[in-house]
Amino acid sequence: MTYLVLFWEYFKIGFTIGGGYAMLPMVIQIVTKRGWLSEQQIIEFIGIAESTPGPMAINLATFVGNTVGSATGLGVFGGILGSLVATVAVVLPSLVIIIVVTMLFDKFRNNKYVQGALRGIRPVVVGLILSVVVSITAKVVLPDLNFKDLSASRIDKFNWISLLIIIAFVPLSRIKVKGKKIHPILLIVCSAVLGIVIFGAFGVQQ
Amino acid sequence: MKGQIRDNRISLWQLFWTFFKTGLFTFGGGYAMISILEEELVARKKWITSQDMLDMVFIAESTPGVIAVNTATGVGFRTRGVLGAVIATIGVVLPSFVIISVLSYFIRAFSQNTWYRAAFTGIQACVSVLVINAFVKMFGQLERGWFSAILLAAAFDVALFTDFNVIFIIIIGGVLGILYTLAANAIAKKKELPLSQSDRIDNESDDDRGAK
Repeated sequence: MTYLVLFWEYFKIGFTIGGGYAMLPMVIQIVTKRGWLSEQQIIEFIGIAESTPGPMAINLATFVGNTVGSATGLGVFGGILGSLVATVAVVLPSLVIIIVVTMLFDKFRNNKYVQGALRGIRPVVVGLILSVVVSITAKVVLPDLNFKDLSASRIDKFNWISLLIIIAFVPLSRIKVKGKKIHPILLIVCSAVLGIVIFGAFGVQQ
Repeated sequence: MKGQIRDNRISLWQLFWTFFKTGLFTFGGGYAMISILEEELVARKKWITSQDMLDMVFIAESTPGVIAVNTATGVGFRTRGVLGAVIATIGVVLPSFVIISVLSYFIRAFSQNTWYRAAFTGIQACVSVLVINAFVKMFGQLERGWFSAILLAAAFDVALFTDFNVIFIIIIGGVLGILYTLAANAIAKKKELPLSQSDRIDNESDDDRGAK
């Protein structure tokens, strides 16, 4: 049953237009609502999915599937089955759609309904990604802030070191060395080292 | 461009192996993969032309799904049909599948370790930076105007402050986009004004493509 739910949820996620980052709002909403992962965990998973080989969204799907599957009591086999279910589900809608669209490419390109729908979907997707920017950043800097229930939120816990890391890394991620941006993996490795030094070695309260 | 370009010189194994390598050496989102594919498929192997590549990226971006996977499916289908599409997709997804499956166990085992937690407090800050960059990039490619601005702001507010299902926000955006485009076309026709300059240029270039 768990696997059916996992398949269905990831099948729906597979219909997201705009690529892997556009999927994030929906993935976060579903995994937290279903109680599969905490918001903290999913942000960690996104970090790992970014820094391991393969498309980020596929890595994330495999990860979520593995975690959900491992919780079913089937052990290692359950985890692998969960990964397989989530990955197949997220790829399936686009597999079928791409084949059909490639066959009908010229009609598809000039169709006014397709063009119109994309005109509306593109800004919506960018707006959704902006909401992920704000909610992830808030989770990191103000862990007790809850946008869905502002009255119950507290802002006395403030991770100013994380905020400093973010402020330092934004320009760092955009500068170009010999015409190339600093690789995201290198940024993630640097941030991990910073985390170990500041929060681990010096024991600064997280 | 024709809908299908089958090329039986490319074996299914070659297709699988090329996309397996691409999946293995790509980090981050699909946009990183596109430049690798361009080098591999257009410049080196010459399986497809750079115009095919552009068309394929357009399809990958404007259809549902992960862009990197969509591109693999598209190239696979164009070169070897449905079987090619499936093989290329499996190829590009397989490295993730194996690596993450192995990694998942280690991560769960370590997740309460103090040093692990310290490292991830740093990484979480970095994830936020990477998502900011994805937003800036996609915002830059957006059509400017009041319609886009309103939809962007509305989607942002609804997603951040309510539990409203994200998929419905996207569907509503698509419907509004169709209505807006139809209304804009109707008004343009009613006034019997010629199409705006940019539209006309678009149409001409489309005609050129058709003529070829």
